[in-house]
Amino acid sequence: MEKNIKTEHRKEIFSKKIPTRLCKELPSDDNPYLAKSIRYHGYELNDILENCNFVETFFLLFYGEFPDKNQSEILEKLMIGLINPGPRHPATRAAMYSSVSKTNPGNVLPIGLSIMSGSHGGAGDVESSMRFIRKNMRQSPQETANRLSELLPENSKEDLVIAPGFGQLYQSADPITSSISKMILALEGAGEALRWANEFAVVIQPYNMGWLKSGLAAAVFCDLGFQPKAGVGLYQLLTAPGILAHGLEVANKKLNSMPFPGDENYVFE
Amino acid sequence: MYSNNRAEVIAYWDNLRHKIFSKKGGWVIGKGVFSHGFDMMKDLVGSKTYMQVLILNATGRLPEKCVADWFEARHICLSWPDSRIWCNHIGALGGTAQTSPVAATAAGLLGADSYAYGGSQTAIKGMAFIRQALKDKSSGLSVREIVEAECKKFKGKPVIMGYARPIAKGDERIEAMERVGENLGFKVGKHLSLAYEIEQHLVKEFGEGMNINGFSSAFIADLGYTGEEVYRISATIVASGVTACYSDSKDKPANGFLPLQCADVEYSGKPDRKISDNK
Repeated sequence: MEKNIKTEHRKEIFSKKIPTRLCKELPSDDNPYLAKSIRYHGYELNDILENCNFVETFFLLFYGEFPDKNQSEILEKLMIGLINPGPRHPATRAAMYSSVSKTNPGNVLPIGLSIMSGSHGGAGDVESSMRFIRKNMRQSPQETANRLSELLPENSKEDLVIAPGFGQLYQSADPITSSISKMILALEGAGEALRWANEFAVVIQPYNMGWLKSGLAAAVFCDLGFQPKAGVGLYQLLTAPGILAHGLEVANKKLNSMPFPGDENYVFE
Repeated sequence: MYSNNRAEVIAYWDNLRHKIFSKKGGWVIGKGVFSHGFDMMKDLVGSKTYMQVLILNATGRLPEKCVADWFEARHICLSWPDSRIWCNHIGALGGTAQTSPVAATAAGLLGADSYAYGGSQTAIKGMAFIRQALKDKSSGLSVREIVEAECKKFKGKPVIMGYARPIAKGDERIEAMERVGENLGFKVGKHLSLAYEIEQHLVKEFGEGMNINGFSSAFIADLGYTGEEVYRISATIVASGVTACYSDSKDKPANGFLPLQCADVEYSGKPDRKISDNK
């Protein structure tokens, strides 16, 4: 049998330049490696600096246009609601343990965000949650819940997730996410996806389930017009400040300021 | 309806609170460090290879040395010092930005956690394909039918995990790994044999051959590992190539790796506009 075809270059044509629809730079007059002006989606940076706040600029980068007042308000409230996963979240703990054990300071945030990529309680299911909401939001939330509840495992020791972004944390509905969702739902910018998702979160309460933060973010991202692919990274960005802040607060502390289970609590199974 | 008993639920979590339960092992101070029942300092250090211990830690099973040596050779095949390869490019960018070697290498590893290349995620899909193909063949399908069924998913194109590759046709690493396998005493198993048959068909019909992932996936399927186990074994498979490319650019002037002029960026977005026009 003839094996191993000869290795040959495909001679594919690759782009000579980096493509972008987001950023345009004009070279300075005496050094083409430096920019004398930079524009985001057509707007000059100085113009943005003078006329826009951070949330508007953030939205512009990812959407290509400025948000209206309602969009800006709802994004800002979501950013505040998600700004800190808290010191018990695995991502924050990863940042804190890395920081207290004196990692390179530049590693603290990437370490935390890497763990935040997880699909349980993290950013990992935001994309699939956005797809779930977009696919089902023309259906009755109750019927959707009835259909999906039939697929739930019985007597599971794990948290139940009825759909990406909706389920349990520590085998209960998460009251904080429910509370944040109520604040955001009351805003004028609350859109169709958020309202549908909230109804869905209500009808799954008899199963001891509710909103997960990833689902709340997914619903708002859908209403703001962001693409599902952007969901994971946007969620990571929104949670980054709290992860870093907690990491930094233990940077100068002694190793024993964070728990290290004793031998009696390290159990060989 | 699910009506969890609250007291039971809290008791369940309380049982885990403040405790670590390990099936892997750990450090018993004064007695030793244990991995899957082995005393690491007595049973492993100095008598087992690093790759044997890596596979032990990833899978819970200590492989024979010949298996670990084969995996080690596969690691070498996936760690090239060519900074055009995407994960290595990330490492080189880390060097030119003067990051730490760990940050650059970790970033490159994340880059290679890809379904398109790199030997980690791709192994899961490659093994799933060849295992299913062997089942299909056992149930009576021909190689032609197996390939046609896969190609149907991509409008007739030969997009099969483990076959064809970007940049080049053919894969020089297969010949090297065949030599390694022969020297270590391995025979061609059922999965690898089928992989060769599929390659022959693809070469004849499309001029495309097997790539290192297709070869490795079939070979490893014959060894009996699961895709998830190979994903874990391969988590750092590209690391040394990334570190090499990091080192190359770190040892040169900062920003010296592929410096870009403003004109090296192709802008195709909105035309120039003023905020007063739209806000």
